[in-house]
Amino acid sequence: MRYMTKASLAALALLPLVATAHTVKSPFPGTVTATTNYSSGKFHGAVDISSGRCNYWGAETGVVGSVFWNVTVRTPGVYCNGTGSGTQNEAKHVWESGWTFRQWHFIKTADSYDRTCDRCQVGNEGGTGNASGPHAHLQQDKAGTNDTSWYSGYTTKGEAVDRTETVGVLD
Amino acid sequence: MTRMSSFRMSAWGWLAFALVPLIPLPSVAEGAAAAPVLQGETCSVPGLMDQIRRGLASKSPAYQRYLRALLREAAVTLPGAELQAAFERETDPVMAEHLAAALVARSEREADREAMQVVAKRALEDRDPAVRSATVRAMRRTGALEKTGDLYERLMRDASPEVRMEAATNLVEDNKFVYAGQHGPATDTAVAAAAASSDPKATAKILGTLNTEKLGAEAAGTLQGLLRSDSAEVRRSAALALGGVPAEQMGTAREALVSLYRGERDTGVRKALVQGIAQLGFASAVPELQRLKGIDPGMAPEIDAWIRALETGLQEWELILREKQRLQQAP
Repeated sequence: MRYMTKASLAALALLPLVATAHTVKSPFPGTVTATTNYSSGKFHGAVDISSGRCNYWGAETGVVGSVFWNVTVRTPGVYCNGTGSGTQNEAKHVWESGWTFRQWHFIKTADSYDRTCDRCQVGNEGGTGNASGPHAHLQQDKAGTNDTSWYSGYTTKGEAVDRTETVGVLD
Repeated sequence: MTRMSSFRMSAWGWLAFALVPLIPLPSVAEGAAAAPVLQGETCSVPGLMDQIRRGLASKSPAYQRYLRALLREAAVTLPGAELQAAFERETDPVMAEHLAAALVARSEREADREAMQVVAKRALEDRDPAVRSATVRAMRRTGALEKTGDLYERLMRDASPEVRMEAATNLVEDNKFVYAGQHGPATDTAVAAAAASSDPKATAKILGTLNTEKLGAEAAGTLQGLLRSDSAEVRRSAALALGGVPAEQMGTAREALVSLYRGERDTGVRKALVQGIAQLGFASAVPELQRLKGIDPGMAPEIDAWIRALETGLQEWELILREKQRLQQAP
């Protein structure tokens, strides 16, 4: 039993990273403006990142590693402060488990199309959809339930982030 | 009490052992000679290659994974032409795989979209099958199957069985981890490559676990054609793959599976056919399964297990599969 305990402790120190986990980086340099709840206390269940600059060049898909991105343009044109709920431009990836990772609100550019890539640009920072200013909304959900565990412990409201900053891990 | 103290001491000892690498070096070396002067180093292709060569001698898989990740991340800032030249010169399969992975990373990060073609060319044309296998592995879990035309169909006809199996593994893992079965063209590419193969093991590997929920009509026809293969392995895997096709192809798929069941002699293939029929119909497949019971009395226990699992009314295929397994294990 003692030897098993020793072995377990040693194994804990040497645990490798899970091979299929995907790290999520910030789509552009900015500040985390909301996570699980808004300042009002209302549930948000996602990570919002804003640089404060509308049409800021190059909103990247944040997931590290090659995955297929389904890009939906619902609102062409440059919009910075919202176009109404459900009208956001979106890049999404559906995992085998059925969970979906989404990035919202970007402004359509020539890069806004479906493809497989590793951190590629899908638009510019913007405010399409339900938004009061330009930002990126990163969300993981399944059947109407938002996952908050992927970013908890990795980022928090007010954190300054750049494209190399880890804001969460999906597994 | 003594045993408890001993355990506590050993646990602290192991904890200390585990934490040693986390102690900052300067605090350990305090009081010793002055720290060596740090020398700036530029991130270069030869520098990274030296680092990888040294890392390969470490025999630590974790360290080797780290080096691979390092090279992939650094790839976007490395000079592309220099990296490509180093890859084309390299004859050691392990180093070739690392350099190929860096070129693939440049392509996937959209720093140099054509870099994938260089790797694909070598995967097809290098004389050494070990190098071809290594470069095929470098394209694993990427968008290579969308960006390289008929590469996978050609790889499935490679003279080396090792290359064919590596290509089959790519198709399986790409569909599972990159596309999650949600991108029809990726599924269709996998089916086309499976059909182009003359290696039944490679075909069976691709089709055996392929998620076909977004399969196109033409590829569904190809799968039905594979039901007539001489190889039982291929017929079995094609039957399993047809079980998951989208709604618009379910009718013809079901007819093909039922029709083959009547003439099939291999028990493994018959089991796969029944599974395919069950997956296509869920509870509505029960009457068909009842009819098939009379054809081969030896299959009756298998079909009964499926009928009982389907009659539970479960709506998730994974749950039905688990229930059927449970029923067969129950005394």
